[in-house]
Amino acid sequence: MAPIVAVENLRKTYRYVRRKPGLSGLFRRDIRSIEAVDGIAFTIAEGERVAIIGPNGAGKSTTLKMLCGILEPSAGAARVLGLVPWQQRRALAYRIGVVFGQRSQLWAELPARDSFALLRRIYDVEPATFARRQALLVERFGLGPLLDQPVQRLSLGQRMRCEIVASLLHGPALLFLDEPTIGLDITAKAAIRDFIREHAGAEGQTVVLTSHDTRDIELVCDRVIVINAGRIVVDQPTDQLRRQFLGHRLVTLRSAAPRIELALPGVVRRASEPHLSVFEVDTRATRVDAVVQAALALGGIEDITIEDPPMEEVVRAIYGANDPH
Amino acid sequence: MPSTVPTIRTEPRLAGALAAALSAFALGLRRNLVNWPVLMGRCLFYLVVMTIISALWDAVAAQHLPGTMAALLPPGGLTLYAGATEWITLSVASIHLRLEDDIRFGALEPQLLRPKPYLLQKIAEALGDTAARLVGIAAAALLALALSGRIAPPPIAFVYVAVLGVLGAAIGVLLLTLVGLCAFWLRRVLPPYLIMQKAMFIFGGLFAPIGYYPPWLYHAALATPFAANLFLAGNQAIAPSAASFGAGLLLQFAWIAVLSCLIALVWRAALRKILREGL
Repeated sequence: MAPIVAVENLRKTYRYVRRKPGLSGLFRRDIRSIEAVDGIAFTIAEGERVAIIGPNGAGKSTTLKMLCGILEPSAGAARVLGLVPWQQRRALAYRIGVVFGQRSQLWAELPARDSFALLRRIYDVEPATFARRQALLVERFGLGPLLDQPVQRLSLGQRMRCEIVASLLHGPALLFLDEPTIGLDITAKAAIRDFIREHAGAEGQTVVLTSHDTRDIELVCDRVIVINAGRIVVDQPTDQLRRQFLGHRLVTLRSAAPRIELALPGVVRRASEPHLSVFEVDTRATRVDAVVQAALALGGIEDITIEDPPMEEVVRAIYGANDPH
Repeated sequence: MPSTVPTIRTEPRLAGALAAALSAFALGLRRNLVNWPVLMGRCLFYLVVMTIISALWDAVAAQHLPGTMAALLPPGGLTLYAGATEWITLSVASIHLRLEDDIRFGALEPQLLRPKPYLLQKIAEALGDTAARLVGIAAAALLALALSGRIAPPPIAFVYVAVLGVLGAAIGVLLLTLVGLCAFWLRRVLPPYLIMQKAMFIFGGLFAPIGYYPPWLYHAALATPFAANLFLAGNQAIAPSAASFGAGLLLQFAWIAVLSCLIALVWRAALRKILREGL
């Protein structure tokens, strides 16, 4: 099956003018360039949920804009749903949904229902199809009581749910989400992640997400592409990335004894409470099953939890390893 | 809900764009109905402005100044003229500010990701806003005229003013669209807006008809879109005639065509710029 997104050696160079100081600056211009995206290549298959992450200025937003068709690359090729985005922007618009977390696509003074009705016209959706989709999405995203309130009176979380519904009303095959949980509180973030995961899962929808929040990546995406300084430094399934990149796991032991000691190579005690001991295990030095066996041999173990380290640590480690400074 | 094969109505591209523009027009109208206190405030402001202007012209008329331009004024001075030009000025939606916001704060990007032309949608929405204001302020103006006891112009003058006023307001929206598009290069629209405002004042005849200017200046002013924006409608309030109405109508349609072409050219240049450089 052809990939939904295929990117080959994509580059984007921004040029800017730097004026020289003093009077000579009036006549002499220094043209400089920045490689925002420097020859990236990847494919995304139908139904995949992919996170594109990276530090500020890494090139992820530039990549997303090129994939949507609102920025032309300096070199390279890309096809999204079989179309060249920057040449067939309007045709592509019918088949993609886009949510920019910091930019609203709704009319603030009017109820979301009015914005949805205009979007039906903009995307040429048949009235019956639109009514069916709107009803389904409103139910799935719990928007019923909010539809007739002016958007400017909604909370940020409620507005973001409306934004996502607005981006789905025309039935896009591919959903681009740029920082969809930015500025939201913990509950609203969790709700948005649940909605995206459940909806994309139910519809088999392909999702491309950028975010600085590692929980978005963990809970929504099954693959991570890490971009740094315009290049792809990691492209792996989320679980594999976590395990491979850090090479350690967390083992939590609940015990009858207030404190447990494990003298194994690569096993380090983390902040623990009485009867609850947390160990960080370097799996290159000691396997997790060896740690569990050693713990059980001590006796009095009531519960064992084995966890991957938080994604935040993974990302911090990746950025650190690829920091040119 | 099929996600991979979206249902797309296969109607002609132009018809689809116009249908979407019509919906945007309706949305602009509806926004004013929802925000009716703002519209009421605008009408009230119009009445305050007209109270001051009419008091000024009543005072001028009371002076009986033979040999001056005041002697040439119609009964009631230029109150009716200013009533028409202020009606248009206060009705034109501030599309330039909306364009500036979209460009400066990045809201343009998600809107470019829609299959219908962004600028057509924005202009249609602004025309919807303007239409609601034209109706609201016209109602306030007619009520004030009836209550003031002033001599009303002949009924046909109302028709002429209404038609040329609506088209004049549309020209105003197009002029402000050009101002708004300057934000692609200048980031801020205030400097070009101030220039345009002064041009409206001078060449559009906001307070005094350009017919009182020396002939060379009158012809120069008449050849600008600002006169088509304000003077042509205002003049019908004090000197209605079928001939000047017909000529004004032609002039307004010509300016609408010219400004539309100019906007399309500027928009194409702006779009090339953002596709190459980003916002």
